Amino acid sequence: MTFRIFERTLAFLVLVAGIPLLFGGRYNKVVQIGMAAPSFENLPATDGRSYSMSNFKEDVLVVVFLANHCPWVRGNDPDLIKLANDYKSKSVRVIAIGVNLRQDDILPAMKERATKSGYNFIYLHDATQQIGRRYGATHTPEYFVLNKERKIVYTGLLTNSPAVAEYNGSVHYTRGAPKQFYVRDAIDASLAGKPVPAAETSAQGCTVEYEH
Amino acid sequence: MGGAYPRARLAGFFALLLHSCSFKPQTLVVGLQPVHFDQWKRELASLKGNVVVVDVWATWCIPCRERFPHIVDLNHRYQNRGVIVVSMCVDDREDKRAVEAARQFLLDQHAAFRNYFMDENILDVFEKMGVQGIPAVFIYDRVGRQRYFLNADDPNHQFTTKDVDDAVAALVSEPAKM
Repeated sequence: MTFRIFERTLAFLVLVAGIPLLFGGRYNKVVQIGMAAPSFENLPATDGRSYSMSNFKEDVLVVVFLANHCPWVRGNDPDLIKLANDYKSKSVRVIAIGVNLRQDDILPAMKERATKSGYNFIYLHDATQQIGRRYGATHTPEYFVLNKERKIVYTGLLTNSPAVAEYNGSVHYTRGAPKQFYVRDAIDASLAGKPVPAAETSAQGCTVEYEH
Repeated sequence: MGGAYPRARLAGFFALLLHSCSFKPQTLVVGLQPVHFDQWKRELASLKGNVVVVDVWATWCIPCRERFPHIVDLNHRYQNRGVIVVSMCVDDREDKRAVEAARQFLLDQHAAFRNYFMDENILDVFEKMGVQGIPAVFIYDRVGRQRYFLNADDPNHQFTTKDVDDAVAALVSEPAKM
């Protein structure tokens, strides 16, 4: 009898508490941790070429949704550039994607931004917005880390202290100097074949506008 | 009699008078009232008896700015029908120019209703309000229960201005309860 209660309690805990731990989905309304990452085909990039997910053979992919107009993206730019630079000698690739359809967020403006800010990563645009919908991306910047099997192992913020560009152009870290580096931890864990410490955080930033 | 008061106190009195004027829904004076989260909860509680629409916005949020005229229009349509429209600005309080821009935006929009500014760390604001992103609109019924939380957190179900209109119309048509 005691064993049965124990067994039921355990089953309850696994079902109720275990699901979010195993599969995420606390913040993202579409994808869950552990799911196969949605792929993309022939998206145009700021370098004039088109790319599909199958073009990227690295062990770890970092997919990040950006929007030119967004001060949270401008605040995030220096750290994103540093991230891409720090991992360039490892089997890691950063792929940024824009899905907004505003004039200042589409390809011509993206090319200008990529040059001006010195983007050292692929910057794609999806005019159908489908890739954003399939990833459940509703904020910019919003990060997704994919492992070698192209499963989603992390979604959310870059660090615990998102940066925002102020009106005067200076960058303000909203929680002071970052202390937790979620994306870097997810990359390192994936490269080492270990579980990712924080699987999901709540992305903050500008809202991605989807056409109805 | 005015001479009996130190000049600073007199100035303070007029500032307070102007400040309180900004809370009257029909006046054209537009104020931006800083509140901490606890104060905000008390303000919200004090509005019980009305349908309350809270529009959460910031100057950096372009969809918020684009939708703001609808909130102003909503106020015009419902201000005499037991509905109180409120805006809650969540610009980064560390960015003084953003706060000033918010104030100017409200003036330009003729936002002649209660305009609050959440005077807390911006991430704390999101956490405490339970907001993942903005624009977001909270709508409370006459007994103060939150009945709608309209947001853009699901790419396949982002709220529209029609959703706001429908929600307010539904709550206004509910029979008054005590």
